[in-house]
Amino acid sequence: MSLFFYLFSGLIGLLLILFLWSVRSTRRRVPPSTRTGVPDECGGRNMAYLPQIRQALGKTDYEFLSKRASREMVRRVRRERRGVALGYLAALRGDFQSLLRMARVIAALSPEVAAVHEFERLRLTAKFAWQYEMIRWKLLAGFAPVPQLDGLSDLVSGLSVRMETAMKELGERAAAAAELASSMNRRGLDVA
Amino acid sequence: MNEIVAFIKVLWGLTILLEAGLLVLLLYRKNHRAFPFFFTYVLMAFLESIVLMVSYRLWGFSSSNAVRIAWGTQGLVILGRALAVAEICRRVLGRYRGIWALAWRVLVGSAVVVLLYSLAIAGLEWQLLALNADRGLELTITVVVVMLFLFARYYELTMEPAARLLAVSFFLYSCFAVLNDTILENWKYRYATVWNVVGMLAYLASLLLWLWAVRNRQLEITLEPALLSQGVYETLAPEINLRLKLLNEHLNQVLCPEAKRP
Repeated sequence: MSLFFYLFSGLIGLLLILFLWSVRSTRRRVPPSTRTGVPDECGGRNMAYLPQIRQALGKTDYEFLSKRASREMVRRVRRERRGVALGYLAALRGDFQSLLRMARVIAALSPEVAAVHEFERLRLTAKFAWQYEMIRWKLLAGFAPVPQLDGLSDLVSGLSVRMETAMKELGERAAAAAELASSMNRRGLDVA
Repeated sequence: MNEIVAFIKVLWGLTILLEAGLLVLLLYRKNHRAFPFFFTYVLMAFLESIVLMVSYRLWGFSSSNAVRIAWGTQGLVILGRALAVAEICRRVLGRYRGIWALAWRVLVGSAVVVLLYSLAIAGLEWQLLALNADRGLELTITVVVVMLFLFARYYELTMEPAARLLAVSFFLYSCFAVLNDTILENWKYRYATVWNVVGMLAYLASLLLWLWAVRNRQLEITLEPALLSQGVYETLAPEINLRLKLLNEHLNQVLCPEAKRP
């Protein structure tokens, strides 16, 4: 068997994997044109639980508990805190994906897209996925600095508020444009 | 050996019959208007089958004349297939004007790279030149179809069932052709008869898939979604990217606490 045989077989194997992955994922997706408005899960929903999450991840609580409670109890609490952190991390990923989905919808419905922005977003997505998995595995192994997660939540809450404002502005602009177009039509002007 | 030759003849007859059936179906359902390049490709393949049948009868299966005609017509048919695949890409992505402008450049770029790469690594052995060119083109088609599906997945675009099934069958056939050509290169003449039979079976399977894909009438033009104004993308795309970048930086902060906070 020559090297080319393995090379081409490997290439075809890789292409088949990519193909199956992309075919499977597109099957149950909703077309972008049917989704409108700001995604509800753009960070705001997770923020409602922020005080509880902060308390659950707080250092003082844990120190207090480790002095008073049994070792079994401390272990259980640590496990539960890890579960909270993992859940929170998953919610943050949801927030990231909401932003990403919005960007994709906007790109799909735009008359022109800039390759620079699109490739940059692709790079950021790959980077986020990698970092997310690293943190998740660190948390599962018990190495991750759990309390630091709450820094992220501030950012996401800020993002979601600003994004909602931007989308509201967008809606207002669209409504104003529609109103302008209809008033021009009423006057019989050529809008083309 | 006689049984194999008889089996090849049966397959040959079946292929011509199915190709004719596909052409009739395309015309009857008026799908030749929706997929003109695909229709042309099937017509070319049908004509190729007839030309080859005549040449084998005149000069024999292994004669140099028949081999030259076979590879020459095969080259034309593969080019027709490449155009049919390009047409499917245009039909799926062309509705989204902005994405199409980006996608066709990426698709053409990757097609050129893959074609040059596969021709370069295959070497320039004269006897295998036609085989290598054939494999290079088939590999290019495979890559382009995968890229099409990746684009559709990334931007969450819907694909018409007919276009989707046509693309899937093109992909499977081209994958198979690459592997078949590679095996032929390794075993050369020992594998030639089997290569022929297996290739014909794969093509028959593709014909059945194509017949199924175009069984219903397809719209000639695909409807474009209502597009946003250009300002929306120009305003929000960099903004969203910046936010995604900040989220990444904060995740990095979690991953490496000693790193400087942004």
